[in-house]
Amino acid sequence: MKGSASMSIKRAKKVPVSRKPLSARIYTHRWFYVMFLPVLVFIGLFNYLPMYFIKYSFYDYKMAQEPVYVGLKHFQKLLKKEDFITAFFNTFELSIVKLLLNTFMAVIISLLLNEMKNLKAKKAVQTLIYLPHFMSWVVTASVFRLILSPSNEGLVNSLLVSMGVIDKSEMIYFLAEEKWWRPVFYMINIWKDTGWGTIIYLATLSGISPDQYEAAGIDGANRWEQMRYITLPSLANTIITVLILNLAKIMNLFESVFVLYNSAVYSVSDVCQTFVYRQTFGGGIPNYGYTTAVGLLRSLVGCVLVLLCNYASKKVRGRGIV
Amino acid sequence: MKKSTQKFLSLGLALSLVFSLTACGSKEESKKDDVTPTTPAGDNTATTESTQSVTSDVEKPATINVMVDGTVFTEPQGRAQFESALEAELGIDIVFTQPDHSGYYDSVGLTFSGGNWPDVVILGGSYYANYASAGLLADLTEYWDNSELKASGRITNESAMESIKIDGKLYGFTPSRGNGCVTYVKKAWLDKAGLEVPTTYDEYLNMLKVFTESDMNDSGDPSNTYGVSAAGLIGVEAPYTNYLPEFYQDAYPDFTKDENGTWIDGFSTDSMKAALQRLKDAYEAGYIDKETITNGTKDCRNKFFDDKFGVFTYWAGTWASTLESNLEANNLDKELVQIAPIKEVGAYVERQAPAWCITTKAKNPAGIFKYFFETMLDGGAVQTLWTYGVKGVHWDDKAETIKLTDTDSVSFEEGQFHMLASLEKPDTLLKKAHIDPMLSFATYVDNADPGIASVDEVARKSSEAFNAHCTAAPVIISNDVMNEYNADLWDLRTQIVTKVVTGGVSVEDGMNEYLTKSANMVSEILESLNE
Repeated sequence: MKGSASMSIKRAKKVPVSRKPLSARIYTHRWFYVMFLPVLVFIGLFNYLPMYFIKYSFYDYKMAQEPVYVGLKHFQKLLKKEDFITAFFNTFELSIVKLLLNTFMAVIISLLLNEMKNLKAKKAVQTLIYLPHFMSWVVTASVFRLILSPSNEGLVNSLLVSMGVIDKSEMIYFLAEEKWWRPVFYMINIWKDTGWGTIIYLATLSGISPDQYEAAGIDGANRWEQMRYITLPSLANTIITVLILNLAKIMNLFESVFVLYNSAVYSVSDVCQTFVYRQTFGGGIPNYGYTTAVGLLRSLVGCVLVLLCNYASKKVRGRGIV
Repeated sequence: MKKSTQKFLSLGLALSLVFSLTACGSKEESKKDDVTPTTPAGDNTATTESTQSVTSDVEKPATINVMVDGTVFTEPQGRAQFESALEAELGIDIVFTQPDHSGYYDSVGLTFSGGNWPDVVILGGSYYANYASAGLLADLTEYWDNSELKASGRITNESAMESIKIDGKLYGFTPSRGNGCVTYVKKAWLDKAGLEVPTTYDEYLNMLKVFTESDMNDSGDPSNTYGVSAAGLIGVEAPYTNYLPEFYQDAYPDFTKDENGTWIDGFSTDSMKAALQRLKDAYEAGYIDKETITNGTKDCRNKFFDDKFGVFTYWAGTWASTLESNLEANNLDKELVQIAPIKEVGAYVERQAPAWCITTKAKNPAGIFKYFFETMLDGGAVQTLWTYGVKGVHWDDKAETIKLTDTDSVSFEEGQFHMLASLEKPDTLLKKAHIDPMLSFATYVDNADPGIASVDEVARKSSEAFNAHCTAAPVIISNDVMNEYNADLWDLRTQIVTKVVTGGVSVEDGMNEYLTKSANMVSEILESLNE
């Protein structure tokens, strides 16, 4: 059997190396190069050229003043700053927990949707859960501020009061209490982004051959076992890829925090980006060198995270994605 | 792929790139190199030569690039018509850049970080002081001192310009006074509670208590109302305490001079500790809106119009009338009592007026001052444009009936000056343009203000009452050291106020935390100020 299988594998035809000179080959495919040019220029202009200005993280750079080289001063100042350290670890915690929760919920919902046999109902549910993704964070924050208001108008507090869980005088200020802010933040994120996150998993699920389920059914596997031994392993690659790709972005957390946080909960909510925002626009003349240093530190950490995950992926699955 | 398709796609993509990159470019780029900087704010050596020529031979600028906030007509409010009319009067091409009002100072910061500075920019409060101290604004002292406007005899309140002087120098021009906040109380609530207008803090607090514990809005639920609301417990913009003056009283949370003329940190004074204790007690008792930390000013206004609270400290003048008309629109008793400052407050604070500034990259500051700034108060057509807007668009004097809603309309006789319906909100009449007629510090030539009679009676009375009970806010100061620490310091102050008032931290502990964390910053700043 093994021998016959290997016999059936044909060696791929080797791509012949062109003997023409490079210039001639470029001329032959000139229109493809012209087509590629816009992408190349855009990437150069908007992705690589800005990297040149990373140098300002080693300068004092204020409005209308010539940049002055200060070496590692900004980094030393940052690492001594308690608020920055708090913001740095908050960024990690909020992003990673958010990422894991969102991924977990997206997988669960995808699996449930995949089990739905009524196509119309499935489409309707999908549309409903995608919709929050298209709401801006500002609108989302306004809506949840109303829902979570510590007054008679707040839906959640009113429910808790009517159920006798809390007294009217003990209404919870969810967005201004340290112990509540993070759970609320995660919940809002799940509500907003989980639906959108299911798209990629549903696409993967629809690619799993029905033959596998049929065979498993014949072998006596029940629904749970089919999910455990066929569906989840098939999804594993996608989950890891999505996780690694999202890990690269975890230090970019800003808008969702910015619209929901306030001075009462800085210790649990302030992240690198909101910290930079306040340092830049919080009064005074901003020192862009200092804020660039925060950005550089953030990017380095993001880069290290991606490489670490890729390494972990190689160890666990035998291959990485980067 | 077909050869022709390849060509078509390739050229299409390449062209789209070129067009999109062209959009990134700027028409002002060519101006960068030939800029002649004027005297920067940080430069103490006055260029007498250039300023002396101001009065004699000032060249009229052909174009002025102006960056403004939402206090100038926005596009939905008819900025295009305003711009055309202004350009026709001045004979100058005015190029307005008007970012969103709420993100205005972010946009200003980003603009100044790049090379394309405007010639003119509006800057309020601490931004004015910060930008001046950083040398980004031209020194206008000589232009003002030698101006025809100053010598015109039409100036009614020169203190408006004096209030924006920094170390005796002017870096901006303000066509009107700064205005300030006063405390409004719903008369229906006062009557229902059987209370007199409070004159002391105890009476004020008692009023809040009654408003909080009684069913003031007849909802059947006494827990539905509270005394007072505000957008934040402390402002990050000077004068910082203007939305809750009864609690702050004599406390000033920024750097200020003591009786000996020495700079001190007002946040660490006993007055501030007492203010924090008052705020904490009132918040814990429920007299202050629980959502004050997350409120924006619009949230507060909406809650006021929804009859959730009865005491609102907000802007005097035009806003008095706006508040009343909105209450009326919500079928509530519209009458508001604008109370005199309670004994412990003494006087309401008039903020430093936002200033029109000329940047140090402007080519012809003397010309801009003379032909753009001075004309704002020319006592004639241009002053009318800035005060009331464009005839036929924002105001008119012909006989007409303006239909605001299906049930509401107003009629005017021939020759009667009247504001027209707002282009943005057609169900309300426009109240003013950039300059509030009640705050302008220069009269019209022969006192011929065409629209002063049309000013709403409520707004006029409010303004007069405020003027009778106001004092100028402490001058905002700034230097390099303050610029370095401003963001950190205000972050810390805001956190301390929030922790103490809402977070169960005692005033003593909060203040100790502030002193520990701010010690180095504050001592460096005080050293720089007192040296």
